[in-house]
Amino acid sequence: MIVIDSASPVPPFEQLRAQLARQIRSHTLAVGTRLPTIRRLAANLGLAANTVGRAYRELEEAGLIETRRAAGSFVAAAGEKGREQARRAAAEYAAVIAGAGIDTDEAIRIVRAALTNGTTTPSSP
Amino acid sequence: MPKGTTPNSARSMRPADLERAGVWLAGHGLADVRPTPLLAMRLAVRRSTRLAAHVLPAAFIIVAALIHVTHRPDDTAADGSWPYRHWSLLALTAAAAGLVLAQSLLDRWVRRVDRRAGATLPRRAAHPVRLGWRTVLGGPRAAFAVATFAGATALAIAALTMRDSTARYAALVLLIALCGIAVGMVVQLRHILTHPVVADDEVSLTADLIMRVEDAREVAAPTVVWCLPIASVFDTALGWWNAAWLVFVVLGAGTLALITARTAPSGTVARHATSGR
Repeated sequence: MIVIDSASPVPPFEQLRAQLARQIRSHTLAVGTRLPTIRRLAANLGLAANTVGRAYRELEEAGLIETRRAAGSFVAAAGEKGREQARRAAAEYAAVIAGAGIDTDEAIRIVRAALTNGTTTPSSP
Repeated sequence: MPKGTTPNSARSMRPADLERAGVWLAGHGLADVRPTPLLAMRLAVRRSTRLAAHVLPAAFIIVAALIHVTHRPDDTAADGSWPYRHWSLLALTAAAAGLVLAQSLLDRWVRRVDRRAGATLPRRAAHPVRLGWRTVLGGPRAAFAVATFAGATALAIAALTMRDSTARYAALVLLIALCGIAVGMVVQLRHILTHPVVADDEVSLTADLIMRVEDAREVAAPTVVWCLPIASVFDTALGWWNAAWLVFVVLGAGTLALITARTAPSGTVARHATSGR
């Protein structure tokens, strides 16, 4: 189930993106599951089609869904690709931590803070 | 009704509607859920439209019978006056189009009430997957509806091969009526499958899907098809045709009873589809 709360400070597209991403990553939505069309989901959730389209685009960029022009959007097997990317990024991060002489506890605290703040992009200064 | 009060909002205030909604929820395994005015209003509108949807085909059958009786050629002029028959067939086609239009307007009314109800919700819930006809109607019922129309069409075409022009004319009336009913059914099913969900949590999402499943099952039941020849063909067709149609109806009723007994109730279908995501 997806719930969009119009009173929430989180933008609707982010609410939608986060909920779909969570359900895909937790395998609640299995690989190959067909998602509703942008127009249908927008009508069901009382959102603009652009809002749903933006959420779908971001999920697609993250490799979580794939859109086949005529058939619609499906949960991609690339959820696994996302995990692989995360593993590679973690290995690079571990190398940076070792190079800078930061201990493990502090390294984990840095990661946790980054995840909490939503600043998970490694390229941010 | 006070001025400025919409019929729908007035309905939602009626305790009887709330009570009926409670009974409906309990009947679908949601006895622990308190009925909301929104659900009561949606169910009340569906009750009204369902009643009208039952009356419409009955009126259509009566109109078809009247057209058939009024324009039936007498025994002395077996071939009849063709321009006269053309008019009667046009009238029947217009009646079939009127039936489809009336059903479409009823669906639009339900959708409008649903849309207004949805607009009042601060939270909106929806299924993250596409619920197609397989979930909402189910393969066996869809196949049964298609088979019923195919069988009825085949029998109507068989009646068209009769030598008696009156029987052929009656078969033509049956074919036009079948087309009208089929188009009406497709239009209604399309509306049921595509109109937006109105829900704000898991319970209301389940209730929404239950309504959808019930509506689809109601629309796909071919009871009107079974009654159609009474309006025309039964009076004129040969004994074998009437016997074949009766066998067709008995077999169809048996199959529908079997499908109803073997498929999951609407509440179970909805709960499975909602909680499985």
